[in-house]
Amino acid sequence: MSLRVSRRNFVAGGATLLSLSALGTSAFAQEQRLRLLWWGSQPRADRTNKVSQLYQTKNAGTSITGEFLGWGDYWPRLATQVAGRNAPDVIQMDYRYIVQYARRGALAPLESYMPAKLNLDDFDKAQIEGGSVDGHLYGVSLGANSAATVLNTTAFKEAGVDLPTQATTWDEFARMGAEITKAGKRKGMFGLADGSGGEPLFENWLRQRGKALYTADGKIGFGVDDASEWYDMWAKFREAGACVPADIQALDKNDIETNTVSLGKSAAGFAHSNQFVAYQAMNKDKLALTNYMRIKADSKGGHYRKPSMFFSVSAQSKAIDLAVDYINFFVKNPEAVLLLDVERGIPESAAMREVVAAKLDENGKVALAYVSGLGDLAGKLPPPPPAGAGEGELMLRNIAEQVGFGQLSPSDGGKQLVTEITQILARG
Amino acid sequence: MSNAMRTPAGAISVERYQGAVAEGRFRRLWNANAPGYLFLLPWLLGFFGLTLGPALISLYLSFTDFDMLQSPRWVGMANYVRIATADPKFSAAMHVTLTYVVFSVPFKLTFALLVAMALNRGLRGLTFYRAIFYLPSLLGGSVAIAVLWRQLFASDGLVNAALSQFGIEGPSWISHPNYSIYTLVALSVWQFGSPMIIFLAGLRQIPQDMYEAASLDGASKFRQFYKITLPLLTPVIFFNAVVQTIDAFKAFTPAFIISGGTGGPINSTLFYTLYLYQEAFGNFRMGYASALAWILVLIIAVFTAFSFLTSRYWVHYDD
Repeated sequence: MSLRVSRRNFVAGGATLLSLSALGTSAFAQEQRLRLLWWGSQPRADRTNKVSQLYQTKNAGTSITGEFLGWGDYWPRLATQVAGRNAPDVIQMDYRYIVQYARRGALAPLESYMPAKLNLDDFDKAQIEGGSVDGHLYGVSLGANSAATVLNTTAFKEAGVDLPTQATTWDEFARMGAEITKAGKRKGMFGLADGSGGEPLFENWLRQRGKALYTADGKIGFGVDDASEWYDMWAKFREAGACVPADIQALDKNDIETNTVSLGKSAAGFAHSNQFVAYQAMNKDKLALTNYMRIKADSKGGHYRKPSMFFSVSAQSKAIDLAVDYINFFVKNPEAVLLLDVERGIPESAAMREVVAAKLDENGKVALAYVSGLGDLAGKLPPPPPAGAGEGELMLRNIAEQVGFGQLSPSDGGKQLVTEITQILARG
Repeated sequence: MSNAMRTPAGAISVERYQGAVAEGRFRRLWNANAPGYLFLLPWLLGFFGLTLGPALISLYLSFTDFDMLQSPRWVGMANYVRIATADPKFSAAMHVTLTYVVFSVPFKLTFALLVAMALNRGLRGLTFYRAIFYLPSLLGGSVAIAVLWRQLFASDGLVNAALSQFGIEGPSWISHPNYSIYTLVALSVWQFGSPMIIFLAGLRQIPQDMYEAASLDGASKFRQFYKITLPLLTPVIFFNAVVQTIDAFKAFTPAFIISGGTGGPINSTLFYTLYLYQEAFGNFRMGYASALAWILVLIIAVFTAFSFLTSRYWVHYDD
């Protein structure tokens, strides 16, 4: 086979070859590959990918690929990948699942990298603790958030109702809700969302009563009386027209898009603080954040600052060192933190919080002000929920719906919830 | 070559002789059929790799406790025992699914047959209508349609807007436990396209002179339908009924989308496959979910066998 090449082509080709070989050397040196997996929306993906690019430009010879899914699709995918020995190196992890994954040996313990490679010294101690299971660190918190009430301030104003304050009780809040419903300024809008099936609400309410959802050793942390009273309170709200009827609440799929506030069905709803930016983007009216209501004016708050999500490293990863370095960059590099903003919650590092605070826009400031202004409403982080907590959450909602649709009395609902959750926990 | 293979010169063992003959026959067969197998190869690979293999693995897993993170642990019949004796959600899911099958299949087939008969009357632009009516079936399993359905049957959806014209204030059909399953039945009936196309083909097979003879004898349209169309169509009805029943048992997407994967409100849309999915991927009980899957296989097999056994009493083949 003969090949004729003109002089000019030869030169051009030679130059190309040279530059290719130059690329080649770096390509061969590029043994360091990292795969990320996270849940979330497109804006989160854009921010994450920008941080990955930044990391690559600062660390020649690394290649980072990321993939993201919605919350519902995320967990099946992750479980399948882990089972198939194909887990991503860096895994976005939730407080609800970290115990399950850690105890089953799917995550790499990270405490041996501290503080040299993983520097979390200006992190809130409790938040580091939140990523620990059985004395090992399995997740680095990417931000703090807290459960919150979302208020459509425009709708409140139209109905001539003042916004609730940090001192407002549930009874007062229900009265406000009933007034908004009664004012009927907007067709089909009620005062409040029906929160009886919402786990964060129920937990907050239990904590105000000095109880908990789950104890540290993974048992049920409340009794029949607590649960019955909870369902009863919401049944009364429903009767008074303070909150949406059950068939409207059932439209809520537990995400931002189908929350009754986003659907325009209620003037107040229940969410998490780091979701505020997305809520505001979806609503033409002006929204605000406030705490969950108090049982009594003087009762202590049931809130806590929760790690909104973690980065964990797969125990199967062949590049654990690189993964740890990437995570450290993610939470401690000012440029990265500015790219991430407060979309994953308020940065845990005190220094990084200042970096972000200086550049926040109005919506970001709302979330930051809310979480840092909780004051004595915020208490200790509860222990990570036991295996079966996911089923428990569905059960709380299922029984709330049965009570809401009048198929079950609040007191029977309370009995059933305690029985079912006890059984679920026993099965594990 | 090893020493064992060496035989005295000129002698050949009986085994080797027979082996050589068999080998030759095999080679001849292979030479004749190789192209066929080659063409079959993608299907064979798919069947063994993606259907039979996973099915056998799931059968094995159904006797284990497997959380996908640790190795499966053999538990014998425990999963099946729990399904049979101690799982209220299994019976809830079975109830929802049977309701769905019992309502959706007959309505869908009736509707499909009616439309097929309307289209069979030499309509102008028949192909156009056929395509239009078939469209929902193509989109059927898709997420977009389920979302559309959610909009139609929500409290402020199109259905209630229409009802309000008559002064009726409808509930949120899709999210009320008394009605939600029937909105899914309606969705399934709306996707009548594929049985309709098959009915249309079946109707075309019926000789026109039968109808002509019947009209001459003064048989009414209804009598013609009852005495000619229906009996001659029974093989097609049988086929459609079996296929649609199996499909209905396996329904998943609409319930998953409409309830957000919860099967709510109050388990009213907890389809069997949705419960299976929850157990497998939500609660990490892959072994238990596999057992549920095999129970479903069994139930579908029983239903199908029953259809075939009874078919001899009502299906008439032209002979």
